[in-house]
Amino acid sequence: MAQPFVKKDDDDEEAEYSPFLGIEKGAVLQEARVFNDPQLDPRRCSQVITKLLYLLNQGETFTKVEATEVFFAVTKLFQSRDIGLRRMVYLMIKELSPCADEVIIVTSSLMKDMNSKTDMYRANAIRVLCRITDGTLLTQIERYLKQAIVDKNPVVASAALVSGIHILQTNPEIVKRWSNEVQEAVQSRAALVQFHALALLHQIRQNDRLAVSKLVTSLTRGSVRSPLAQCLLIRYTSQVIHESASNSQTGERPFFDYLESCLRHKAEMVILEAARAITELNGVTSRELTPAITVLQLFLSSSKPVLRFAAIRTLNKVAMTHPMAVTNCNIDMESLISDQNRSIATLAITTLLKTGNESSVDRLMKQITNFMSDIADEFKIVVVEAIRSLCLKFPLKYRSLMNFLSNILREEGGFEYKKAIIDSIVILIRDIPEAKESGLLHLCEFIEDCEFTYLSTQILHFLGIEGPKTSDPSKYIRYIYNRVHLENATVRASAVSTMAKFGAKVESLKPRIFVLLRRCLLDSDDEVRDRATLYLNTLGGHGSEVETDENMNEFLFGSLEVPLVNLETSLKNYEPSDESFDINSVPKEIKSQPLAEKKAPGKKPATGLAAPPSGPATTVDAYERLLSSIAEFSSFGKLFKSSAPVELTEAGTEYTVNVVKHIFDRHVVFQYNCTNTIPEVLLENVAVIVDSSDAEEFSEVASKPLPSLPYDSPGQTFVAFEKPDGVTAIGKFSNILKFIVKEVDPSTGEAEEDGVEDEYQLEDLEVVAADYILKVGVSNFRNAWESMGADYERVDEYGLGPRENLTEAVNAVINLLGMQPCEGTEVVPSNSRSHSCLLSGVYIGNVKVLVRLSFGIDGQRDVAMKLAVRSEDESVSDAIHEIVASG
Amino acid sequence: MILAVLFANSEGNILVERFNGVPAEERLHWRSFLVKLGAENLRGAKNEELLVACHKSVYIVYTVLGDVSIYVVGKDEYDELALSEVIFVITSAVKDACGKPPTERLFLDKYGKICLCLDEIVWKGCLENTDKERIKRLIRLKPPVDF
Repeated sequence: MAQPFVKKDDDDEEAEYSPFLGIEKGAVLQEARVFNDPQLDPRRCSQVITKLLYLLNQGETFTKVEATEVFFAVTKLFQSRDIGLRRMVYLMIKELSPCADEVIIVTSSLMKDMNSKTDMYRANAIRVLCRITDGTLLTQIERYLKQAIVDKNPVVASAALVSGIHILQTNPEIVKRWSNEVQEAVQSRAALVQFHALALLHQIRQNDRLAVSKLVTSLTRGSVRSPLAQCLLIRYTSQVIHESASNSQTGERPFFDYLESCLRHKAEMVILEAARAITELNGVTSRELTPAITVLQLFLSSSKPVLRFAAIRTLNKVAMTHPMAVTNCNIDMESLISDQNRSIATLAITTLLKTGNESSVDRLMKQITNFMSDIADEFKIVVVEAIRSLCLKFPLKYRSLMNFLSNILREEGGFEYKKAIIDSIVILIRDIPEAKESGLLHLCEFIEDCEFTYLSTQILHFLGIEGPKTSDPSKYIRYIYNRVHLENATVRASAVSTMAKFGAKVESLKPRIFVLLRRCLLDSDDEVRDRATLYLNTLGGHGSEVETDENMNEFLFGSLEVPLVNLETSLKNYEPSDESFDINSVPKEIKSQPLAEKKAPGKKPATGLAAPPSGPATTVDAYERLLSSIAEFSSFGKLFKSSAPVELTEAGTEYTVNVVKHIFDRHVVFQYNCTNTIPEVLLENVAVIVDSSDAEEFSEVASKPLPSLPYDSPGQTFVAFEKPDGVTAIGKFSNILKFIVKEVDPSTGEAEEDGVEDEYQLEDLEVVAADYILKVGVSNFRNAWESMGADYERVDEYGLGPRENLTEAVNAVINLLGMQPCEGTEVVPSNSRSHSCLLSGVYIGNVKVLVRLSFGIDGQRDVAMKLAVRSEDESVSDAIHEIVASG
Repeated sequence: MILAVLFANSEGNILVERFNGVPAEERLHWRSFLVKLGAENLRGAKNEELLVACHKSVYIVYTVLGDVSIYVVGKDEYDELALSEVIFVITSAVKDACGKPPTERLFLDKYGKICLCLDEIVWKGCLENTDKERIKRLIRLKPPVDF
């Protein structure tokens, strides 16, 4: 067994040198030769293995030759009967993870150990074998593994079960055959065996909803011993509740009693898990929330930091949707502001900022000011964002919140932190008119001493738009012109543009602006001089012909109509040719979509973890390139919209297919993304046969089959339809996947020559009205609404019938219209009786549409809705009403 | 999944580093992130006092034991609560192996034993054993007493 290298009394710590001092790989590899000695010295061998482990744990790597040499030497140690050494050998082999052709050397020794009478040899041999083995060997040892799962020694059973969890990733079909044994192990009296068995059983059955539901039903009735297993069960239960909620009508929530009973469990871990599960239930009511919040409140004053953290983290999430439910905990949370653990303190503050009422804002701000100085930037950003939303919630408190933001702006901080503050001030200025003047002055003061070019230019741009609209625009000029003297070229150029904007908007300032712009004509930088010249000409400063006011305003203040990300990708893809770049060819959709080529992700268990945000959209472009490269579709014109992929098969089936709907002015193309998940077969001539008898206005014009679909390499097949121009035709399509299936020889990877024709039923697909509307947001809805004008406004009222709550009604209308919710209005505060929602989008034919929805719910849960539409085209406003009326 | 178990000395040098399911190119980043986290927060912490943090959907529970700081990183089912269970087992096993909260020297003296304990506790990202008495027996290939 492992012995210390230098035998010394533990108390003798004067010799502080490390036993690994000066350790060197080459020397240790030399030492490893002792493994080959005919007379093995177990103690010495253990020492050498420890040194090897130390090297590996330090991130040292062995070359292929070195690893092989060590591995072969280590296998010799199986001859020793010393159990301590044997334990080290097991660990060493796992760490070396030998390659397939070397494994053969140890398999017989390990197989022998696996059938040994000594339990511990069995457990360890199983773990090692499962770590290093491949599929073929696995079938040979499967029988033993199945026996081991139900072994009476819990260590052996756990070893086999945990191995099963790992093997499931690589050889799922083998592990799936162990269901019965694993089921038996779930009933084990040993707590950990139960935990491991439950985890494995759920993974085996996770794609079978009914089986998971049965598993949960039986286990929630019985007794689960281990708290860890109980936590798993709670997670699986909330997953089942989540999936069944959409099917069941109103009434008692299944399994709620079980979750509530877990709140009284003796293990804290289980209580917290149950509380968390309850708070995450869909449409949770205050009655359901109360017991969960009560236990979480108790944990807030726990002596264990992890419990405090877990409780405050959960409450923080609840506060986003049900702030009122959390207010009872305010006092406990206030005491957490001074918590030693900064993560806990930050969570407490951001939660308080959500639950606090108007009267407590000032007190809270005082506490936060003290706290800000000793936390890291990343926490500060979270606080700044919370303060921003608080200010939007209580606009009357803008003065103290704005002061707070300007104070922290003056303190030390990195770019991300400063950017978060600037963004917040900008948003407050936009949304709270009273805050504008003081906010702009804070920004002006900041750019006087700002080390970040990006932020300076952003502020200068913003000043150019908002400054001229204030009561005394001239007071900002000094700050802007100072930039021309003191800053780098980028900021100087930006300052020139801003001054021009003041000149254009404020007639009285124009002559003085000309003087300043003329001084910039002598700047050392090309861009600065060019801009000054350009603006002087545009504004008439050179005595030249002045542009009309409208043109000038469009030029200075007009915004790009396309998202910058899309413009950037289009420019990158543009290849210089005779044809100049056309800005109208840039896609306008900003919605991000998962890559169609990616495998559809499995259903996420309801863990309550926040998923990382998805990256910006580049797929629109990819789709456009893909489609234009196919001759049959090249004449269809410009792609208007591509839908998100719609799954046409259940997860875990032999072939997975999803479809992306591409909408053109007169055509619709279905792109079927197919994946073959069976290694033993190759599909050829893959096509989808579409029956469009329930979609009368569509007629099939082209189909592009996929010549071959090998295992695990996705491919696409397309079907195109024609539809009448300008009509938002809708309809239902049924789909059958047709192909020739050929068997593949697993040893050579070659397919047989003869194949069999086969087909596979896919789910139906619908083209709906929302497919003809692009989700395009506007930054300021009120401005957009007013500038659109009431010429083509259409207003009507609708009854939406009984609904569970307003959230459900709002989501239903948003999904029906497929438009972009603006300014966060898609979130309905819990238990509200009325709600307004703002939507914006672009209708096919590039017509902008804005929608105002007002909802109300009565005692019988009947929802009424007022729908106001404004658009650039009368028929489009009517069309939106038709969609709602027929939806 | 338990993504990482890491031991460092008081200067931030790595003593043991075990990753599961973390790509090789991200390991260095994790190592320096954790060491920095410890340097900022562990000063003055008491033995076995747990600290906790989360970064996106990944959780970190860490503590100090004698001269050694211990970090455990997990995601999904291994949230802060499950990780605190894991780190509790690890600290008790280490204390047991060393006989007390270890100095760096003592930790290195018992290095082999500690590696074996870790092998029993976390196996490829799963928590396998939680009882220190059992672990003590298992690393000597003795069967558990309680079955």
